[in-house]
Amino acid sequence: MAIRKRLLAAVAVAAPLALLLSACAPGAVSTQPNKQPTSVSKNIASEGDVTLKMLDTFQGGDSTWVNAVIKQFEAKYPNVKISRTTQNFDQVMSTLNLRLADPNGPDIATVNNGWQSEGTLAQAGLILNLDKYASLYGWKSEIPATMQRELEFTPDGKQMGSGSLYAVPTARSSLIGLYYDKGILDSLGLPVPQTLADFEADCAKIKAAGKVPIVYGSEDKGPNTAILLAVQDLYGTAQNIGDFVYSKNGSSGKIADTGIVQAAQTVKKWADAGWLTPNYAGIQYADAVNAFQSGKGAFRFEYTGTFSFTPAQQQSFGYVQLPQVADPSTVVGTGSPSANLAISAKSKHPDAAAAFLDFIAGKEAAQLGVDQGDLPLLHSGLSVPSNNPEFATEVAGQNALDKDNGYVPYFDWSTPTMLDTLGTQLQLLLAGRATPDQLAQAAQQDYDKFQTQQKNG
Amino acid sequence: MFYGAVVIAPVFQSVNYSFYDWNGVTAARWVGVQNYVSFFTDPALSAALGHVLVLVVFFAVLPIVLGLISAGLLGRGRVTGAAVYRWLLFLPQVLTTVVVAVIWKRIYGPDGPLNEALRAVGLGHLAVNWLGDFTWALPALGLIGTWSGLGFCMVLFVAGVSAIPNELYEAARIDGCGAVAEFFHITLPGLRGQLAVALTLTITSALRAFDLVWITTQGGPGTATTTPALLLYQKAFENPNVGQAAAIGVVMALMCLAIALIITRSVEAKD
Repeated sequence: MAIRKRLLAAVAVAAPLALLLSACAPGAVSTQPNKQPTSVSKNIASEGDVTLKMLDTFQGGDSTWVNAVIKQFEAKYPNVKISRTTQNFDQVMSTLNLRLADPNGPDIATVNNGWQSEGTLAQAGLILNLDKYASLYGWKSEIPATMQRELEFTPDGKQMGSGSLYAVPTARSSLIGLYYDKGILDSLGLPVPQTLADFEADCAKIKAAGKVPIVYGSEDKGPNTAILLAVQDLYGTAQNIGDFVYSKNGSSGKIADTGIVQAAQTVKKWADAGWLTPNYAGIQYADAVNAFQSGKGAFRFEYTGTFSFTPAQQQSFGYVQLPQVADPSTVVGTGSPSANLAISAKSKHPDAAAAFLDFIAGKEAAQLGVDQGDLPLLHSGLSVPSNNPEFATEVAGQNALDKDNGYVPYFDWSTPTMLDTLGTQLQLLLAGRATPDQLAQAAQQDYDKFQTQQKNG
Repeated sequence: MFYGAVVIAPVFQSVNYSFYDWNGVTAARWVGVQNYVSFFTDPALSAALGHVLVLVVFFAVLPIVLGLISAGLLGRGRVTGAAVYRWLLFLPQVLTTVVVAVIWKRIYGPDGPLNEALRAVGLGHLAVNWLGDFTWALPALGLIGTWSGLGFCMVLFVAGVSAIPNELYEAARIDGCGAVAEFFHITLPGLRGQLAVALTLTITSALRAFDLVWITTQGGPGTATTTPALLLYQKAFENPNVGQAAAIGVVMALMCLAIALIITRSVEAKD
């Protein structure tokens, strides 16, 4: 009896299972890339009352900025309302694919560059190909070529860095560079470093004076890589790093050309010299950020927009974009828009959404950012607040990059898993469990695996 | 019907997904058992399974042994303040894992209370970055599990002990048993049912370990503390490889099921 019952149960389980397995491959429904609007128009007023749903990752100061931008936009287009949903970056990124597949999902969404988000969405046809709007609004002439490249994918969605535009940058930028605490440098009579050699000379003296040269915490994978990427930009050429990340046809795809090995050697050398915060392996990212801001060390490699300095701190902190080691007249730096917005392929009001994308990339929006001390993008001739020397140094850094067109994409856009791989490898490197070459090899493996997948997929 | 819709259907769906290479949005590609083969070929996955075995010791074996000892001590005799001990030890059980993880992250910090205490008693050379050290991170995580699992095991066992008829203990004393012999001859056999429950729940919680790891170390330093559940999350949501994530889920579910079966079978067999 018992055996018979079990048999029945087994059949009951197996039958639907077999049915399901033979029935359907997941996600096979309607996933053609290259979704485009049929006709585009600047005439938003004729659309009647429109409410656009926007899903974004703007937090803190950025959130204040976006609200100000929306207010001005709604004043300009009284028939359009924008209703925001804001969540932190990880939350949005881990649910974005599903939300954009929903017919009632957001009209506008922040997408991350690279394969983790924008590339996948473009490939799946969940976000619109914006080429028609780009010619309507003239985006292609307004956005610098290196930055457009960061947002382009081929129509089949298989290649990044060329093809059509799938997202538009906001008028705010995010760079990686070197922050310094002028209070500490002045107290030791040290100059603000202008080259990597200056920087290392300063560090040695700060260490000798018993202070912490570089504030660092490596416990959180991901944010711990800012130091590595910043130093990489001092060794690799903009061309080589860009080609590697975009996996451009004809590029060698060899990570050794990107300066990552030299960067790893350099960071390891600093760690061995005791220049990093003691016990950095047990320090969380947020604690390291706080430690630097409260004067616990002289330098920190960080993303712009991370620190919010008080008016007093604005007088004593500063930012510098160090030039390349081999050619000190060239400046290369990791930089991109602080966020990119895309339009859902399911949006019923793509014209209104495009108007907002144009507005948030516009000069008015940039000025609103500058007014609160955030780096602008795409626009010059803005009025910079005069009482904020810290912000002036960031602007100087950005100008140096603008001059040489030295922007390189974030290295971790190269594959969906690269940030995690680098974060992990950096921890291993600093603990003496991996050599700089092994770090590069692991990243190369990650890269090759993804490239093979792209070809097969 | 409802249960079928929200539990059983997703189970079949996961099994189905696990045979595909799928990023969650574009068309999936049939890869057969490839996602399962990678348990043997992908060093990251096999390392994660190894870490889980260590966690089982800390999440299951230690709390149960300690729980038995404390039940032996608290259960029978009239210890002054037994209720207070019980209350204190059970406290971690009612705290959310997130809270537990945040508290311990502070305790284990480079200048946290643990290292301060070590330095205060002159053992400063033993102070390390508990969660940032390749050797210590996994045991340090495990101890958090021990700490939070102990209360549960103890309360379970104390309740079990009080259900053992007093006559048995009286008979044992007449036969001249000491406290230790009493424990092994009467208490332990009497707790077999509770042991099975405790083992099943604690081992599966070790297998599923995610929240604690995610908040404290994210699998770091390096890959010293990755668990299958952590990889599942990363592959399902952060870097979409839904097929592989589903395969991990299926394997974890099967392991939990197998463990539960083995434990209940061995308890039943003795009854």
